[in-house]
Amino acid sequence: MPFHLTDEQEIVRASLRQFAETEVKPLAAQLDREHRPPLETIPKLADLGVLGMTIPPPYGGSGTDYLSFVLALEELARVCATTAVMVEVHASLVATSILRFGDQAQKTHYLPELAAGRLIGAFALTEPGAGSDAAALTTRAEADPDGFVLNGQKIFITNGGFAGVFVVLARTSPAVGPKSISAFLVDRDRPGLSVGEPERKMGIRGSSTVSLLFDDLKLPRSALLGQLGQGFAIAMSGLDGGRTGIAAQALGIAQGAYEEAVAYAKQRVQFGQPIARLQAIQWLVADMATEIEAGRCLVYQAADRQDRGLPFSDAAAKAKLFCGPMATRVTHSALQILGGNGYTEAYPVERMCRDARITEIYEGTNEIQRLVIARSALR
Amino acid sequence: MRIVVAHKWAADPQEAVVGADGAVDWSRARPAVSEYDAVAIAVGRQLADASGAELVGLSVGGPTAAAPLAAKAALARGLDSALIVADPALAEADSAVTAQVLAAAVTELGQVGLVLTGDCSVDRGARLTPAVLAGWLDWVCLAEVSAVRWDPTGLSLERESDGGWQSLTLSPPAVLALAAGAVYPPVPGMKDVLAAARKPIRQLDLGQLGLELIRAPLLLAAAPAPAPDRRGVVIDAMDPALAAAELVARLSHDGLTWEGRP
Ligand SMILES: Cc1cc2nc3c(=O)[nH]c(=O)nc-3n(C[C@H](O)[C@H](O)[C@H](O)COP(=O)(O)OP(=O)(O)OC[C@H]3O[C@@H](n4cnc5c(N)ncnc54)[C@H](O)[C@@H]3O)c2cc1C
Repeated sequence: MPFHLTDEQEIVRASLRQFAETEVKPLAAQLDREHRPPLETIPKLADLGVLGMTIPPPYGGSGTDYLSFVLALEELARVCATTAVMVEVHASLVATSILRFGDQAQKTHYLPELAAGRLIGAFALTEPGAGSDAAALTTRAEADPDGFVLNGQKIFITNGGFAGVFVVLARTSPAVGPKSISAFLVDRDRPGLSVGEPERKMGIRGSSTVSLLFDDLKLPRSALLGQLGQGFAIAMSGLDGGRTGIAAQALGIAQGAYEEAVAYAKQRVQFGQPIARLQAIQWLVADMATEIEAGRCLVYQAADRQDRGLPFSDAAAKAKLFCGPMATRVTHSALQILGGNGYTEAYPVERMCRDARITEIYEGTNEIQRLVIARSALR
Repeated sequence: MRIVVAHKWAADPQEAVVGADGAVDWSRARPAVSEYDAVAIAVGRQLADASGAELVGLSVGGPTAAAPLAAKAALARGLDSALIVADPALAEADSAVTAQVLAAAVTELGQVGLVLTGDCSVDRGARLTPAVLAGWLDWVCLAEVSAVRWDPTGLSLERESDGGWQSLTLSPPAVLALAAGAVYPPVPGMKDVLAAARKPIRQLDLGQLGLELIRAPLLLAAAPAPAPDRRGVVIDAMDPALAAAELVARLSHDGLTWEGRP
């Protein structure tokens, strides 16, 4: 299926390319070196309307289609994967969960703040004993006369170091299984919430990844997102769209590394000619270009299905399963083309190699994507 | 009143490839609103907001100028509406022909007090269009305008060039070519992109404009790049100190070091 972007999508891409080149790229190496989140970029992303792309205009968002949002993530990740994942979790996992499952008061309260970047969102599902098997989570939200009391621990929470609101998944009945899980909107300033030290990571080092501890944290009834027992469905629904977003992040990282490699191959002279004239390099470039194009088709198709209201879980899982490993392969081929320079911090490719790897893990590992795809294929 | 921004849907030079012989390959360069024209649109938006004028984008070109993307990309930068004059006869239009068509379109629009242009077009860069346009309209023309302010008595302008700095006041109508650095044009936001799809676009061809071209466009046959002066000297770098000394000696011999200069 050939993919034609609309005029609006083309302009979104051009705008994000310009923004990413001028505002995001110059910070990328520094954020990585200093393990520092791009807080200074948040107001600029809000002004541009990127933080509100998944939020409709009545709630202060720009309300674009999901494919436009995916294009934005791709363009951000092309120069800085850290910035891309910050936006992805905020606008995709958090804002869309509130939009789809929030009541009117929650939407009116949170969505305009999220669109304006005054609040950044984080999504807290994973626990020490519940990663791929998310339904095994043990954080408890016990009902009390005023609402709920939250106890438990979350780990690896993106944006957690500075987020103003957390979508937290917790068990609301002692029964095992997904039906006993509910989702809550937890404000950062609630007594009983402690935020751990940021993890020091292999890649996306600027992204804030923290643990959360809930110690008798009191929540009003109004903090419940959706129905009691609907939490797991909310999380899975968020992760479906999120997977397309992470696939777009992987695609952008691969594209960025590819462009670095092509530019380098044209100007690096060995044996009296640019290395781009060597067949060994040409074949690497050809494979990279082909893989990126294939990944792009899968990502855009998943986003397009979502926009057209068609089932897209399977398409999103396929896009993520293909693009994560593809980004790892492409970034490593790019490093090979840059030779020793590629291994140094003087060029962005070593960072891109490190950044690519996480796209095979978070929002469902490669193995979990295969489970989703196989379940659909063998139904 | 209307303020018109004349902008060109031209191939993006950043995507053009310069070959080893200096020839420019434009075949893979996609068209875009140039950074020069983006400056004119941004300044136009400020003036329109200050004066209450309507900001109209005007683009003249061959059939590619008629692509909805061309108009929307400019509208997303803050125009209120767009007028496109697209005609196969204008595919290779030079500055004189373009200016003639722009003048006819400005007249057709009516109530235009100001025409803004970018510093130059990105593909040709002749810097002639604003002056020839002003000639057709019999209006004042100023180039290298680095700042414009609207006040009820007229316009105050600043011009900066290598020769110095000028402060001027002016009563419309006028044609102003904005200096490339007059403002830093904002990146179109997501809301602007969506709003662009709802803004009016009007399209005319030469016949509808009732215009006969003064002459066929002047075609650029070749623009050879000056051949680089290469000596092909290879300095043996086995001993870095000796190699550096030889490099300095050769540069001094060619008068390329500061040594001995006043
Ligand atoms: C940088 C970073 C950011 C993150 N951000 C967030 C966030 O914002 N919010 C959040 O909730 N979580 C977040 N996570 C958690 C992430 O989603 C999990 O790490 C991921 O889902 C895998 O869980 P795990 O690490 O516990 O691995 P495990 O589940 O322990 O898996 C270990 C290995 O076993 C394999 N495996 C497990 N089960 C199966 C199976 N049934 N079949 C085949 N193979 C299997 C896995 O694929 C993997 O290879 C983040 C993680 C990282 C590293």
